[in-house]
Amino acid sequence: MVNYLVVFFAVTLMYFSSADRLTTYIKLIGIQGLLLCGIAIFELKEVNTANLLFIVSETLIFKTIVLPYLLTRIIRRSGVTKVHRLAMPGFYLLIFSIFGLLISVILAKILINPFINTIYTAIALFTLFTGMLLIVTHKLIISHLIGFLIIENAVFMFSLAIGNEMPMMINVGILLDIFVGVLILGFFGLRLKPHTNELTMLKD
Amino acid sequence: MMLLLFLIVSILISALIVLFKNKTLTRILTVAFALLLIWFTIFAWANLNSTELTYFTFDSTGVLLLSVLALLALPTIYHGFIYTRGDDAKKHSIYHASLVALMTFMSGAYMANTMTVLWIFVEATTLAVAVLIYHDRTEMALEATWKYVFICSTGIALAYLGILFLGFIYGRGDAPNLSFSSFAHVINNASPLYLKIAFVFVLVGFSTKMGLFPMHTVTIDAHSVAPPPISALISTTLMNVGFLAIFRVYTLFSSTSILPFMNHVLILAGLLSLTIAAGYMLKAKHLKRMLAYSSLENMGLVAIATGVGGAGYYAALLLIVLHSFTKSGLFYQMGQLSRVLHTFKLDECGRYMNLYPAGAMVLLTGMVCILAIPPSGIFISELMIFRGLVVNDQWFVLIATIVLLCFIIYAMSIRIMHITFSGPRIETDLVLPGKINPGETISQFVFFSIVIVMCFYQPPFLVDLINQSFALLPK
Repeated sequence: MVNYLVVFFAVTLMYFSSADRLTTYIKLIGIQGLLLCGIAIFELKEVNTANLLFIVSETLIFKTIVLPYLLTRIIRRSGVTKVHRLAMPGFYLLIFSIFGLLISVILAKILINPFINTIYTAIALFTLFTGMLLIVTHKLIISHLIGFLIIENAVFMFSLAIGNEMPMMINVGILLDIFVGVLILGFFGLRLKPHTNELTMLKD
Repeated sequence: MMLLLFLIVSILISALIVLFKNKTLTRILTVAFALLLIWFTIFAWANLNSTELTYFTFDSTGVLLLSVLALLALPTIYHGFIYTRGDDAKKHSIYHASLVALMTFMSGAYMANTMTVLWIFVEATTLAVAVLIYHDRTEMALEATWKYVFICSTGIALAYLGILFLGFIYGRGDAPNLSFSSFAHVINNASPLYLKIAFVFVLVGFSTKMGLFPMHTVTIDAHSVAPPPISALISTTLMNVGFLAIFRVYTLFSSTSILPFMNHVLILAGLLSLTIAAGYMLKAKHLKRMLAYSSLENMGLVAIATGVGGAGYYAALLLIVLHSFTKSGLFYQMGQLSRVLHTFKLDECGRYMNLYPAGAMVLLTGMVCILAIPPSGIFISELMIFRGLVVNDQWFVLIATIVLLCFIIYAMSIRIMHITFSGPRIETDLVLPGKINPGETISQFVFFSIVIVMCFYQPPFLVDLINQSFALLPK
């Protein structure tokens, strides 16, 4: 079951490369939160109940509800609905994304470890790659924010891989979630003009 | 228990400042915090190598950097009082509460003996610094803060991936946490590939704090708009936090087969940092940005020194200490310069010697110190790096470093000389030059004096502490 969820998670990542509406991005972020919640429930069998409850509620509340809500507020405020300022055409993004998946699988095979499920490593690496790709190829600040949230999901996925041995690592990862959710989205997301692509007042 | 007391009282002071929003009370509480920090540092010296609350150890590297912070605390607070005296009570209190929080988090990071705890404190410093960079509430401040938080957060996430890779090295039930001491037991059986990946992630991630290539841009923009006393901290003690995180991982991995790999990566990062610093300093148009690139240059030298090994370790730690004193002195001076000239744009700066002789003398002395021109103590440090490169037969690195340093010396000296002795290239008569009390320069001259004395005499207690800091590293 957990493998299905992980594969479904990878599908949402591919969808990021082909989507061009910000609302789709937000829905995908919410779905990823839900999937991570499911993966945590199935994967973390050796963690005590209180800790598991904490992790599950964090993914449900923060990743599935709070973050998409804050992103929706930012989009409504700015009135931007489409990611129309790409540094490269969407088709190439999809090609890059497929290559990213291929490289991630090869890397995961190289990094084989008796304590970690290889599929986790592959998808976590692919998540990291997708987040980076989104930041590099998109010009809008809001897209950069979403790219960062994807990187953060990669971190969470990696921490789940060793969660049974070191639940503390997941809790620290959650700290990063709250940090991002509250500070970056809550504060800057509402003050910056998210539709702008010209943060160039400060330059040499 | 003393550490716990320090953390609780510090956070309490920060909370009280925000709660009461009274300027006089804020000043009293902030000075009380500085005294508390000094007392805590003395306690750390007296209890060297002891562990508190499981996750903190007063080890030599941590105590060395904590001492630098304690010495900078009072002058930074004093210059902060001057900078914020025109602010309303709310803004004033937020500034000082964040400053207290920042210094507390940095102290925690210095003392952390576990990778995850260190990471948490580093993350916390980002929060506090973000508030301080945004102090002036301008569009530029917002942009700089956004860039700082965004890049730092990405860096922190990458550093955490590095920590997770360290976690992968542990077997099931090997260790409950990632403490440096427990890690030392399993390190030699670890896969070199995992160690290399972990090191690269940690280096790239924490270089957002250290201000090293490739994540150096984050601090450059922050310097342009941050209040000068905060720039002093970002450029010194906060960069030291990033260095410490990288140095701790480097020390851990130094007993494995990846030591040559780490040295090569550090030297490469150092050389690239020097190249970027030299390139941008040659075309610098903003005084604070030029000083920020100078910090990039010095961190590049620290990385090269660490990569050189042997005597380079001593040179790296000495450079970290002396750079902290020199750069903070120069940034304190920026606060006074902006009140006299009302700008940081180099084309609009000039005649500083006529307008404010004490400040001009600070600029000139600071320039000599930071450019490692004798009698600056940094000269000794750079000399040791060059000697290490010659001993290692790394002639290309040596020549490249010397050439890049020549460009940096040229770029910085002509600009400082221009500000001090020449008239501005673009005349702006709209605002009259401000009048500053020369007494404000005392702290800067004291720090520069320390740096100059260090050229001739390094006290045995400092030498011992630095030697202890790299005792675990291969000779």
